[in-house]
This record gives sequence, C-alpha cells and structure tokens, in this order.
Amino acid sequence: MITRTRRLAVTALMMTGLCLAGATPAIAYTPVGIVHTERVQAGPYGVTLGFSTWPIRAMRSLDFTFIPDGGIAGKSGTLHLDGPGVQSDEHVTPLVRHPRKLASWGLDVKAFNSPGTYSFGFVIDGPRGHGEGTLRGVKILDQPGPPLALSWVVGSLPFIGLVVFLGVAWRRTRPGRLPLTV
Amino acid sequence: MDTPSPSDTTGGRTAAIAGAWVVLLGTAITTVGLSWDVQWHQEVGPDTFFTLPHLALYSGSAISGIASLLMVLMATSAQRAGRPLPPTVGGTAVRVFGGMFTVPLGYLISGIGAASFLLYGLLDLWWHSIYGFDAVLNTPSHVALFLAILITMIGSIMVFAAARDQRWARAGILIAIPTLITFAPIPTHALTNLPMPIDPTIAGIICFSPMLLIVGAGILARPGAAIYLAAVLGAIQAFLWWFSPWAAETYAAGIGLPLRDGLSPQPPDLPGATPMFLVVAAVAVECLFWMIRTRDLNARKVMLVAGGITGLIVAASLPLQQGLTDPTSSISPVEIVLITILGIPFGLLAGFLGARFTVMLRALAPATKEAR
Repeated sequence: MITRTRRLAVTALMMTGLCLAGATPAIAYTPVGIVHTERVQAGPYGVTLGFSTWPIRAMRSLDFTFIPDGGIAGKSGTLHLDGPGVQSDEHVTPLVRHPRKLASWGLDVKAFNSPGTYSFGFVIDGPRGHGEGTLRGVKILDQPGPPLALSWVVGSLPFIGLVVFLGVAWRRTRPGRLPLTV
Repeated sequence: MDTPSPSDTTGGRTAAIAGAWVVLLGTAITTVGLSWDVQWHQEVGPDTFFTLPHLALYSGSAISGIASLLMVLMATSAQRAGRPLPPTVGGTAVRVFGGMFTVPLGYLISGIGAASFLLYGLLDLWWHSIYGFDAVLNTPSHVALFLAILITMIGSIMVFAAARDQRWARAGILIAIPTLITFAPIPTHALTNLPMPIDPTIAGIICFSPMLLIVGAGILARPGAAIYLAAVLGAIQAFLWWFSPWAAETYAAGIGLPLRDGLSPQPPDLPGATPMFLVVAAVAVECLFWMIRTRDLNARKVMLVAGGITGLIVAASLPLQQGLTDPTSSISPVEIVLITILGIPFGLLAGFLGARFTVMLRALAPATKEAR
C-alpha cells in the first residue's frame, strides 16, 4: 500500500511538473495594429484616431489610439465619450498613454457593449493653447457571435449543476431534521 | 483477522492528508493568481493567454484536479481490493460510470470543479477569439470559470469536513473557509449585467461571508472557531493586499512594461472586497454559540440570529471599509442605508442556509471524536 501511495505521489508530481513546464508564460505582447483611422480637429491640434478593428462591433474589444499632430509630448487633456454603451464613469476620463503604444494616447482592449452611434471628444491643452473637438457619428454595429442568451446558458451550466447537487444533497440528508450541536 | 483499511495504514493516512491539502493548495494558488491578474489589468494592462497570473490561475486548478483524480483512483483501487476507504477520506463514496469508479463525494466535487475549469478555459479561448481580450469579469466564459473554481473550493471544504475529528483537517477548514469567503463574491459579477438596486458584489459579500463563517464555526464546533476563521481571513486579506500590487509591478518591471498613466490610489480589488470587520461579527457568533452550548438553546434558531447579526455587521461596515481604504469611493448616504438594511435579510438567509449546510457537511462522515 505504501509503495502504491508513493507511486501515486510520484505520478502526481510528474503530472504537475509537466503541466507547469508546458505553460511557460510568454512575455511578448501583440503590437497595436491600426487598420482604420479618422481625423478630428481639436482647436489648433489635429488628432488622428486609430482603430485596431473596423468596423467596430458591440462587445468586441479593440485598441483605440489618439495621436495629436506632433506627438503627445507637452500635451495633456481629457477624452469625452458619448454613446449608448458608455458607462457613467467613462464619460470624461484623462487622456493617458496606450500601454502597448506609448507614443500615443489610447484605450486598450476596450469594448462598448451596445450598438449605436458614438462620439469621441477631445479637450487638449498644449504649447499652442487650448483646443476642443469631437468626432461624431462613429457607428458600432451589433455584437458578433451567437446570441448572448445562449452564451449565458452555457456559462451558467456550472451554477445549474451546483444548485442541482445541493438540491439532491438537501433532499437526501433533510438537514432541517437532523440534530445539530455546536 | 480484519484487513486494515488503507486509511488506517501510515501510507494511506499520508495519502489522505496529502490529497486534502494539495486540493486546497490548488485553490489557494488560483486565488492568488486571480488577485494578481485583476491587479495586473488595473495597473499594467496588456493581456495574452500566457501571462504569469494566468499560469497561476490554471495551474492551481490543474493541481486540485490531479490531486482529486489520484484520490479517486486510490479509492477505486481500495474498493476493488475489498478494503474500501472510510468516509473520513473525502466523504461518503459514490459509484460513478456504472460502478467503474468509487469516488469520495468531496473529491468528486473538487474534481468536477477542476475539470470544468479546464473545459471552460477552452470556451474562454473561443470567447476571446470572437470578442477580443476583454479584461472584464462579467462575461459568460469568465463567470463559468469562476463558478468552476467555486465548486472546487466547495469540494475542498467537503474533504476537510469529512475528516473534521482530526487536527490536520480542522487546520484545513481554518484555511479553506476563509479562502472561499475571499473568492465567493467574484461570480456575482455576472449580475452586474442586470439592473440591481445595489452592487451585486456587495450583496454577495453580505450573503456569503456570514454563511461561510457560520458553516466553518459549525463544522469545527469548538469555542473560538469563528474568531480563528476571521483571523485567518484577515491574514489572507493582508497577504493579498501586499502581494497583488507587488507582483503586478515586479512582473511589469521584469518584462519592461510601464504602469498605466493616471492610476488612482485604489486598494487591490480582491482583498479590498474582503470584509475586514468580519472579526467583530465573529465575536458575536462566538457569544451566540456559547449560549447554545451553555443554555441548551435551539442551534438552528440561534444560527439564524447569528446570520442576521453577522449580515448587519458586515453590511454596515462595508461602506466604512471603503471609506477608510479607497479615497475614490463615492457611496451615497442612500446606498449606505440600503446596504445596511439589506444586511439583515441577507444575513438571516445566510444563517438559515449556514445551519443546513453545516448539517449536510457533517453528514459526509460520522465524527468519531467530536468531544471537545
């Protein structure tokens, strides 16, 4: 029995080691590939908006880049988002560097959950003063993939299984009737 | 002469202890990995499938799953040899796949949870291929993954509860229950897709932490158990509070990525949502349990009251906790009142369920030495 237990323990260690060895983390990140651009004029600053997928679809995350002419050095500002899928705390946010494209401002792997018409506004302060401008009429199409309800049914199966298990265990043990001391 | 059961031999006993603790180790690694991953997305950002936090998340479930599988094989082998394992090893055994395997119930649940996690990992990969690498918690594939982890954690508690008359198992409960208290509110993110009067995560914290505190104290059935559970929860919270930002920043520095611009001074998400004043409720639970022991009160009724009081304390202290730890927090007075009031019914429900789940967990195996 002891030998068998040892054999099981060695097998467990080997399998765990293989799992860990086979999942060595990569440290390279996909560069931001811009496939579509738009232009907007924010006072004295021309801004190029870059989108990593086009057209944009609801719920599908993508990278957005915002590059003022001459670069972001010495400039700061805020991004003003408007549209049906914009959360209450997302309407006005500071313009920050995109984490994988540090020479530009941006939003990384950002999805808007509702289709509709959106606008991207910019308030920029820099060496040429203050500027404001808005790109209007950005269309976000319906979500891709299967109907969301179907995805949620599949995603809820572990919950349904857990409830069924608890229900069966409850019926078999009748926990309201068994003695209970603490 | 009777043939000794495998769990009675030194090797069998070692395997029983190792199986239970390795399953728990897997859930702990997963919890640490999740907290690290959430912090990574908040502070740094870029995502691929192959990041160190994801490795921790997946390897934790793999470890729990492999340990569960080995215990199932051991139980099946023992059964076939005519020396079945006692129910203290993982709980009552059930036959599955037409009697091909003999599976202790606790390991069946932890194994199903771990296997589901790996299966839903494939669904997650498919989801990301359609919707991109969205770093949000409330997608169907992410919620399914969280539920799978939750199921593994429940299995881990069942395994320890079955052996609760042994010191190593009681020590395991003292870690497994706080681990689940830390994790349990996460799947409630699914409900953020629906219009709710309060944040569903807050509702989850108010409901699950009293219930699990009562279940833990009820299984251990010893004076001071609730306070020990709350103390271990505090230790886990403190560790994750330190570790998650440290690990995210160290990992980012190690692969040459900067932190996000404009980070606000928020506490780490997972430990930040752990109720830090649960120890106050634990004192109340201890007092009520002491009354059950000394005055021969109806345990179920007192546990119901304990749930209500714990729910109220947790609910009333959560806004205070947010105010103390999160400078960006903005809970309105109306929300504070609503959360506090909801603490009572949620807590009563927790007390009701806590008493029943305690009985169900104890039914996994008869206690042999429950004398205090």
